[in-house]
Amino acid sequence: MRGGAVTTGSLLERESSLGVILMLPGALLLMVFMAYPFFLGIWLSLTDSGIGRVGRFIGLQNFVDLLSDTIFHQTARNTLIYALVTVPFKCALGLGLALVLNNRMRFSNPVRAAVMMPWIVPTALSTLGWFMIFDPVFSPISWLLRHVGLISKNINFLGDPGLAIASVCWANIWRGTPFFGIIILAGLQAVPADLHEAAAIDGAGLWHRFLHVTVPHIKGVVLIAGLLSVIWTFADFQLIYVLTKGGPANQTHIFGTYAYQIGLSATEIGMGAAIALYMFPILSVFAVLLLIYLRREE
Amino acid sequence: MEKKTQRKLSRREFITTGAAGLGVAALGTLPRQVFGGQAPAVIKGTKLAFLQATYFIAPAQDLFRKQVEEWGKMAGVTMAVDFLNWPDLQPKIAAAVQAGGVDIMDLWPGWNFLYRNSLVDLTREAEEVGKRGGGFEPYVLNSGKVGGRWLGIPNGYSNASMAYRISWFKEAGVANADDGNKIDMTWAEYFAVAKKMKAKGKPFGQALGHSTGDPPGFCYPYMWSNGAMELSKDGKSIAFNKPEFVDAMKKFVQAWKDGYDETGTSWDDSNNNRAYLSEQISSTFNGSSIYFAAKKDKPDIAKDTHHILIPKGPAGRFYWLETRTTAILKNSKNVAAAKEFLKWWFQDEQYNTWWRIQEGYHLQHVKKLADDPMWFKDPKMTPFKQQPKYGLNTGYAGPPNEKAALAWSKYIVVDTFAKAVQSGDAKAAVEWGAEQLKRAYGV
Repeated sequence: MRGGAVTTGSLLERESSLGVILMLPGALLLMVFMAYPFFLGIWLSLTDSGIGRVGRFIGLQNFVDLLSDTIFHQTARNTLIYALVTVPFKCALGLGLALVLNNRMRFSNPVRAAVMMPWIVPTALSTLGWFMIFDPVFSPISWLLRHVGLISKNINFLGDPGLAIASVCWANIWRGTPFFGIIILAGLQAVPADLHEAAAIDGAGLWHRFLHVTVPHIKGVVLIAGLLSVIWTFADFQLIYVLTKGGPANQTHIFGTYAYQIGLSATEIGMGAAIALYMFPILSVFAVLLLIYLRREE
Repeated sequence: MEKKTQRKLSRREFITTGAAGLGVAALGTLPRQVFGGQAPAVIKGTKLAFLQATYFIAPAQDLFRKQVEEWGKMAGVTMAVDFLNWPDLQPKIAAAVQAGGVDIMDLWPGWNFLYRNSLVDLTREAEEVGKRGGGFEPYVLNSGKVGGRWLGIPNGYSNASMAYRISWFKEAGVANADDGNKIDMTWAEYFAVAKKMKAKGKPFGQALGHSTGDPPGFCYPYMWSNGAMELSKDGKSIAFNKPEFVDAMKKFVQAWKDGYDETGTSWDDSNNNRAYLSEQISSTFNGSSIYFAAKKDKPDIAKDTHHILIPKGPAGRFYWLETRTTAILKNSKNVAAAKEFLKWWFQDEQYNTWWRIQEGYHLQHVKKLADDPMWFKDPKMTPFKQQPKYGLNTGYAGPPNEKAALAWSKYIVVDTFAKAVQSGDAKAAVEWGAEQLKRAYGV
């Protein structure tokens, strides 16, 4: 008993073993909630499993089958558009928002808190708001435009092929802009004021000060926010599911919603896992870029 | 016997009588028939969890909850019943199939095939229900059995047909517009009315989005009535890309422009209800929920609303109609109690009361109810009475199996219609649908 206490005590004394002990709970949580589902997903994607049905190992057959599925092609295209179109918009609007919020003004703290609302409110809830705004029959936008005589019939926000993807992108931009805004605002506040003063004394105008003083200081946070946003947008689900469920005619399906449709609705869980895993290489590239950047900064 | 049952447990009596009172009364008379001779002590003290979708007809949901509580008290079983939003039901069931936690579930059409390996065989119990009711309706027989076994007890399915505004149909010159029971339209005639109505600013409305009720409810019957189907009768090929169907699709594309609200490509199951009740559209394919909602909140619209049978095409008149089944999960720790509950609930005293309170919204599963007095209370509901005899299943001419469910859940047939009206190219849309069906069915 005494010997055991001594051993435990010495374990806690030793830096190397203490580190391992302290890491253990976190590692365990990661194993259970991240690693296990991930590897289970990989395993499922290599089988023909269904809900309530143990499948056979079929190698890469699911992945191969998807390559000739035109709905999957459309899904991949939609996902790329959804992620790569929305992130630059979110970044540009977020930068503008941050520059405005960085100015001294009255009620700046409540205003900063308010602009975070789209990001804080649960996505499913805020998307219901967009669901009403894009309503094919009762949209307030259509109503307003009709009453001022700019349009003669309702806008088919979620039913027209081009407009449907544009509408879901717009809702995503609305939701994601505050994240960029607040991250960039934090970056802006770290820019030393004396650099701006020195540049102003040297005759630099507003634009030049922004370009040569501000931008070099915030490009790191912009890059991190951008990479994170690409990853999150690729893996989105709720917004599309609430607004369109991938319709009409699959014009708004992204990997998450199509994987859900095949994996849970059609109960082809193996195929559903394969659809979701097609995101993995793309997301890995962005994750590696992010890690490389962070390491370099260290 | 039937009359006696109605008198004993009419809707009004049931709702106004306290569950406890009913339980006490029933304990004295029911145990033998309820528990099939088994001592309730076997299941006493156990628990049962029940999963259903929310009801459009709220009193039926309240009644069901009361019935569940009543049986729980009688049997000494703790009952928990969850009513989920329609889109949330299947994920929750899928989770229960994998991980447990639910004993009894209301399965929607086709799910008895999807979860076949996880469901308790209830053939004996279902056959008893069918026998008592004079046999199951043909649509129930087409869709309820999986490999010759009943993996749940069929309970019928919600109705759907064409709701229309009487006064506006009169304006469009439709004969007998006052009485939908006297109208028997072809698709061409229906589309002709749509064109007139759109010209008057009151188009027809049809949901073609990714939604589980009205879009497939309209698209499958239109396909069948125009000579196409998913699988050929020998089950060896896809019978979707047929010249007569391409031709019919061209007519639908034209009708969409001429007579429909074109935003319908993004409508779900609720959009047409709201559009109809706000007087934006003059007719739509829907369950009688529109009529019930109008009776409750907009009596003028209800008075001016009637229903007609879905129009017929060259190949006939059809409805997409499959039964829902009440099933028990194999991973339930309380299969015995679950079976006892279902035996009790499917007795006429319970089931028929629950069925009648829906006033025709839920279609009968057995032939005996086809001429039930309930159907003659409101003539505006009579078109729905005939619906079961026109029912076909997804996957027709094949069975409503896993492949049919895959095609259905990918919205292949619905998306064919959506693609056609969006692009205006009916031929390309049908070719796309045929190619997708070929993949889904592997033929």
